[in-house]
Amino acid sequence: MSIPDQPKRVIALAPSITEIIYAIDQGHRLVGVTRFSDYPSQAESLPKVGSYIQLDLERIVALQPDLCIAVKDGNPQDIAFRIESLQIPLYAVDPRNVEAVMETILEIGNLLNAQKKANTLSNCMKQRIQKITQLTKNVQKRPHVFFQIGISPIVSVGTNTFIHELIGLSGGINLTQGSVPYPRYSKEQVISMSPDVFIITSMARQAIFNNVKKEWQKWQSIPAVRNNRIHLVDSNLFDRASPRLVDGLELLLKLIHPSIWKKMLEHPQ
Amino acid sequence: MTKKYSIWLRIVIVVVITAVALLITSLMGISMGSSQTDFHSFFNAILGKDSTLLLIIWQIRFPRVLLAAFVGGTLSLGGLVFQALLRNPLAEPYILGISGGAAIGGIIGILLNLSRFPGVCATAFTGSMATLALVFVFSSGKTALAKDSLLLSGVILNSFCAAVIMFLVSIVQDSRLHSIIFWLMGDLSHTDLEHIGYISILLIPCFIFIFGMSHPMNLLLMGKDLAQSMGVRVKTVSLSLLIVTSFMISVTVSYCGLIGFVGLVMPHLLRMLLGSDHRILVPACIFGGGAYMVLCDLLARILPESGEMSVGVITAMIGAPLFIFLLKRPGT
Repeated sequence: MSIPDQPKRVIALAPSITEIIYAIDQGHRLVGVTRFSDYPSQAESLPKVGSYIQLDLERIVALQPDLCIAVKDGNPQDIAFRIESLQIPLYAVDPRNVEAVMETILEIGNLLNAQKKANTLSNCMKQRIQKITQLTKNVQKRPHVFFQIGISPIVSVGTNTFIHELIGLSGGINLTQGSVPYPRYSKEQVISMSPDVFIITSMARQAIFNNVKKEWQKWQSIPAVRNNRIHLVDSNLFDRASPRLVDGLELLLKLIHPSIWKKMLEHPQ
Repeated sequence: MTKKYSIWLRIVIVVVITAVALLITSLMGISMGSSQTDFHSFFNAILGKDSTLLLIIWQIRFPRVLLAAFVGGTLSLGGLVFQALLRNPLAEPYILGISGGAAIGGIIGILLNLSRFPGVCATAFTGSMATLALVFVFSSGKTALAKDSLLLSGVILNSFCAAVIMFLVSIVQDSRLHSIIFWLMGDLSHTDLEHIGYISILLIPCFIFIFGMSHPMNLLLMGKDLAQSMGVRVKTVSLSLLIVTSFMISVTVSYCGLIGFVGLVMPHLLRMLLGSDHRILVPACIFGGGAYMVLCDLLARILPESGEMSVGVITAMIGAPLFIFLLKRPGT
């Protein structure tokens, strides 16, 4: 199936794709998105075609798209094949790391005839990332970060994730690096790792976060507890292959290296 | 001679009635879906006025309805055969642990990155045969519980299988976890006509074989000794029925995951309506079970506002209360 020059009815098969399309000002082409596509808020009113893992083929076909944009690591392959077999053009992107996200933005910009905007966006992201890496490059002490994405069981992130990459870029050390993408931990293991910073994602709501925080605060031997460095962050800034990853990076810098963050604010150039 | 004539007539009548039920539910199944639920647009599509909807009907809903019909028929028939062989009303593939064994095999297949056909199907079949063999080993020998030992071993093995499934699920830490969980809950959503072709090639001979065995099953119900004296080779018949039934159960489990209660509800319901002659019950289970599953799948597709529900949820939510109602009915 060939992809039309001017796609007019696009379905984004993952929330990250939706974000990218809006970020390059092409939201008007979207006719369908997946569940949890909640950013920007205009996306919420678009028809939903199931979740990115369990796509509703019937709704996709009924929306008569002239292009579906899928993610290789996420959308089930058999569904992608079925969409193609139903004569719907499908383009799959593969934003596996921060670098690849910027390439994906350019690719989608090409698909939707928004090369200029896509270039500007990816260059802007590149500059913001470079600024932070320059500031953290020669930092002496790299705090040990425990990034908790699951409450019960305790789940953290391995090497092959955006979060790991962002922790590294912002001058921290991910305590849970390793080949398992989302490793599970017991409380005992976490305590013995004695993290300098706890970062907990908002998969948990505020009330639950407060409970989790209270739970960790029982362990005064943990440096992060002693120094009151337990933070709650918005998970959508960290697990979506979207331009907002850079916002996540800046947030991490603020939480991991507050002094560098302050310096950056005082001297923007 | 008149007796023989009347049984064939009764079979034809029952087949026609259940087949009509299947046809009606199938029509409902292809005319409604997540994108539209009114008959008006369905007729427009059939008349060629809406090519998109026509595509949806033939490429998405039709294979799915066929799959649901096959799965419902297979699971009901599986329950019927097990209830006859074990002479126990509680027997069904789910309770005997055979579905559980197939599920373990299936998950191992998914973890080994095998394709659905024939890879996962083969590992699922191996799993179900292994549990079946274990059930027999555990229940053989003279124990105090001999009478119910087959069923008890099945129940124990089923809990064991459930634990192994949970173990496998908890050691998987990547994206395959999602597909395993959806599959475990019973998922009919990914199918196309080519796969339906394979499935029908595998299942229809099983249906025919079991129908051919329906008379020996009647005799088996009267007791092993009596059946033996009437010329039934009890061991051969029982074993071949068990193997064929396990085979067709593992085909459906490997393709659609675990869907419970169908094998319990449909055979009992039909037995209450039609009596206990398996020559009638076998075709009734195939078509009636199919109709029931098509209906459950339709509900699973159109009830949730967005996305879809697992069909296993619907079969259990309808099946359990229906079963209790049947049990509590006066005169049974």
